[in-house]
Amino acid sequence: MIFRRSMLAVVLVGLVVAAVGAIVLARIELNHIRDSFETDARIVHRLLSQRAAQQDAVMAMLTLLNPADQDARPRIASVYPQILSVAQRTSDAVWPDAVLRTAETESRRAGRAALADADFAGGRFRILQAAAPASYVVQIDMRGMVPWDEWPMQPDNSPVRVTLEYQGQHFVLQPGQDNNQIWRFDFHKRLAADSQPFDVVATRTAGWGDLPWLRMLGWTALTAIALAALLAVQRQRAERRRAEELLRLGQVARLNTLGELAAGMAHELNQPLTALLASTQAAGRLLNDDPPELATARDAMTRAVEQARRAADVVGRMRRVVERPDMAGQLQSVDMRHAVSNALYLLEPECRRRQVVPAFDPGDRIIQVLAEPVALEQIIHNLLSNALQALDQVPAAERTLHIRLQTAAGYGELSIRDSGPGIAPEVLPRLFEPFFTTRGDGLGLGLSLCESLAGDMNGTLTAANHAPRGAMFTLRLPLAEHT
Amino acid sequence: MSTPLSPLIHLIDDDAAVRDSLALLISTVGLRVQPWATPQGFLAEFDRSSIGAIVLDVRMPGISGLSVLDTLMAEGVDQPVIMLTGHGTVDMCRRAFKSGAAEFLEKPVDDQQLLDALQSAVQQHVRSRERDRTDHDARERFAQLSEREHEVLSLIVAGLTNKEIGRALGVSPRTVETHRAHLFTKLQADTLAQLIRHYADLVEAAP
Repeated sequence: MIFRRSMLAVVLVGLVVAAVGAIVLARIELNHIRDSFETDARIVHRLLSQRAAQQDAVMAMLTLLNPADQDARPRIASVYPQILSVAQRTSDAVWPDAVLRTAETESRRAGRAALADADFAGGRFRILQAAAPASYVVQIDMRGMVPWDEWPMQPDNSPVRVTLEYQGQHFVLQPGQDNNQIWRFDFHKRLAADSQPFDVVATRTAGWGDLPWLRMLGWTALTAIALAALLAVQRQRAERRRAEELLRLGQVARLNTLGELAAGMAHELNQPLTALLASTQAAGRLLNDDPPELATARDAMTRAVEQARRAADVVGRMRRVVERPDMAGQLQSVDMRHAVSNALYLLEPECRRRQVVPAFDPGDRIIQVLAEPVALEQIIHNLLSNALQALDQVPAAERTLHIRLQTAAGYGELSIRDSGPGIAPEVLPRLFEPFFTTRGDGLGLGLSLCESLAGDMNGTLTAANHAPRGAMFTLRLPLAEHT
Repeated sequence: MSTPLSPLIHLIDDDAAVRDSLALLISTVGLRVQPWATPQGFLAEFDRSSIGAIVLDVRMPGISGLSVLDTLMAEGVDQPVIMLTGHGTVDMCRRAFKSGAAEFLEKPVDDQQLLDALQSAVQQHVRSRERDRTDHDARERFAQLSEREHEVLSLIVAGLTNKEIGRALGVSPRTVETHRAHLFTKLQADTLAQLIRHYADLVEAAP
């Protein structure tokens, strides 16, 4: 249940990370679109402003040079292709057009060229420069005014719409694409030439199609992969913890049973022993009396015999209770390598804590022995735990643990060798005795149990010291039928 | 060989065989034994005024020896209690002594160990009963003194001479001497040291 909840939490966090990442990526892309749009719009504004200034310069040049030759004017149009026509008014003539007369007044007042009229539908406008001896008016083709070779965008398929606007008239320089209207960027700036007060208006819209879907998808996939890896690690850790917990619980349960048994045994045996001791000692005292009280002493001895029988019964009953079930029926073919790996896996944290790297030599082929799997793992686990505890007594740099599998004369042989202090010579013969221990906190049942289990599986467990230092335990179990 | 006046040992154990054999063993040294099969029966009926000791098994069905011990102590029973246990832990032992047990022995118990413990417990009980009686007698004699004799006694205990006492009480040293003689007779004291040892506490306790 707890595991479920933590998994849900990880998934939720993952979703949030994926969403935030995708949003950030989209944001970055939109910022990029806006920046490049603004740059393009500024370039467009600068180019058009330059052209407008150029047209002002042409007007100034015309009034200064005042070409008398009528042929010079068409030549100007060929140099500046946007200039459609040039007209002149000498001081004695009058502009035929009222618009031009107004513009002349305006130009004279401002001391610069002035806009005469704008026909955006026809794509043209006229500017006029008042001067003496002659004033000039030129007609400009708006499309010809655009320097397409320097244009920063692809006019046909750029998504940016560019127009020139003047008093409600629009002239489309670049149509743009206006199919999606979720995000919109605008640019609006008047041309930098007072004679041509047109507004450059640029618009860029962006929609779902402009978002960096591939990158966003990639990020989400990356998050999902990281999440899956995290969950896998977590699950593996939880599994190991559960396995360790099970093993520990098993040991605690066994110890509890053992403790109960010991307490019960102590009471059940102590009662008859107390009576037995008291009766015989009382009898001894009665016999030493002068004169001896024979009758009472005899009764006391009869009672002592009864109590000795009662104690024997208790022991017999106890033995029947703790007798292990016959293992013969439960033997099966077990891969020793697998059993060792399992035990090593469970003890990995212990090894790491002690800075011990177990060296496992599994032999060159699979060794199948006849064993009861749980009993076999219990033996290996106990032997490895013992070895690790022995290694606690030597410096970390000198700790080695060798585990080796081999076959010898119909037996599968597992040897576990540590570089601990080894087994004292006087301890060696008593090593497998029940309740014999050299550790203060031990019950002295671990090795005794291991040896009994090995015997029950028709195998043996032996212990020896090896040079230069350390203990070596060897477990032999009969090989399974060759298949 | 046991006489009605010899100390009485109360033995509480639910196991008949243990009870009988321990009772026999204890009786070999001349102590009387009263066996009890249940703690409840013992608590309800035993003679609290008897001289002796109590031998109590820790592990009994129904009520544990340790709670019996607590009950005895709460009642102010003055017989020393010897606890017997089948498998004693350090913790159990500590609890027993903290609750006022005189001794804590493990089963099966060796005869000498048990009998020694019993003997010393009985001696301890006899002595404490004697001390109680002495205190009781002294208190009675002290109560017989007149008011003036009280004053004189308290000044004697304070270490004043007859002359100083006479001056303090406004009487002649000769009168003080008479009071003093009465004091020694009434309190059955032979020497000044005896008088001070037995009655100094009572003087200080009196208002």
